[in-house]
Amino acid sequence: MAVELTSKRYRVEDLDAVEFCFQQGWTDGLPVIPPTPERVEAMLAAGRLDPKQEIAFITNRSVSITAEKVAINAVMAGCRPEYMGVVIAAVEGIGDPAWGYHGPGTSTGGAAVLMIVNGPIARQLDINSGDNLFGPGWRSSLTMGRALRLVMRNVCGSIPGLLDRGTLGHPGKVSYVIAENEAESPWTPLHVERGFRPDQSTVTVMAAEGPHQFYNQLSPDAEGVLTTLADSMQHSGGAGRQPQYVVALAGEHMRTIAGSGWTKKEIRQFLFDRTQNSLAHLKRTHRIPGEVQPGDESKMRPIVASPEDFLIVAAGGRAGSFSSFIPGWGSGNSSRATTKEVKR
Amino acid sequence: MEILDPTVEAATQPIAYVDRPGSLKGKRIGLIENTKYNSDKLLLKIGEILKKDYGASETRLFRKHNASVPAHEEIIVEVRKTCDVIVAGVGD
Repeated sequence: MAVELTSKRYRVEDLDAVEFCFQQGWTDGLPVIPPTPERVEAMLAAGRLDPKQEIAFITNRSVSITAEKVAINAVMAGCRPEYMGVVIAAVEGIGDPAWGYHGPGTSTGGAAVLMIVNGPIARQLDINSGDNLFGPGWRSSLTMGRALRLVMRNVCGSIPGLLDRGTLGHPGKVSYVIAENEAESPWTPLHVERGFRPDQSTVTVMAAEGPHQFYNQLSPDAEGVLTTLADSMQHSGGAGRQPQYVVALAGEHMRTIAGSGWTKKEIRQFLFDRTQNSLAHLKRTHRIPGEVQPGDESKMRPIVASPEDFLIVAAGGRAGSFSSFIPGWGSGNSSRATTKEVKR
Repeated sequence: MEILDPTVEAATQPIAYVDRPGSLKGKRIGLIENTKYNSDKLLLKIGEILKKDYGASETRLFRKHNASVPAHEEIIVEVRKTCDVIVAGVGD
């Protein structure tokens, strides 16, 4: 079926196409695949999408993100056509008012978009849920996240140094995609906790800092491992500013915690109880203003508003006594993780 | 080779600006506070200066839901009714 692509066309010599994209300011600093009409059409066909279809509308930018623009950027990022459904769901996620594009798309806080893929699609597309979880090595993981960031750059205008004013940023702003290790996890998958069926595929997006790794090789039970985790999390981020956290529990820790019979709900409650800081400590360490007042030593502030604000996923290599936590971006309810179904 | 533009061609959108007042004398000032730490203090200080040095009649402070969102509808409605001039600030 012929589709009508309405984007402006440029004619360039084959050998110069990549360089042309750099010159136009269309890349993230790495070479891109030149977005020819044929490649873009294949991407749209795989997603069964009309090029004019609006995937998201970013209110603050007055920008409509169409399927055609997502497809062009997905080609440039190196996606295979079958990745299109995941990229589309991620774009829907960052377009949700609850995600609040304006903050994480611009803020000095330097958030990346952490994408967590659940359901059958994660295994079908070989999205990494194991060794080297946040690192290189998987085309699907690296190109899908890159596609989303190129959409943010090229369609929404979040260009580093211009609209994207992250003070530090982090490498996850190139791509930041993981899957939950549902095949080996003893727990309810994240998307099921968030209201989807196990056989549905979803993408959860959270505006996020980089992954913080912690180490515990000593504990034979859940309480020991999670005590180390809670201690590491307690003073992270803004120590009470972050709307949410993701906790990625890798193979050894996952098995140790599950061996104690703990569910994700119990993990969340333990972390909620053990990561609170006294107002006195937050004042002494200049995280909140004011002099320490009588009673401040025993007035406790949790690092998130509710235990539900810890998003627990089983992910990471089978070997090694490491897991990680990821503080979300912002404060209060300025940006909440959203979960969208991958439609096929 | 032919390649497609990945960017959005900006849609033109006319924006009508209200005429700027020639003077602030007797004007009612709305202060739109974005919830960032000290932004209320800074705006109130500015409001005091506008009253003392420029003759504005009064100031009213409005608080957004958070720094990342535009002023919500209730603020806009109230500002239309009760203010002649607004000052919106970003504090970081």
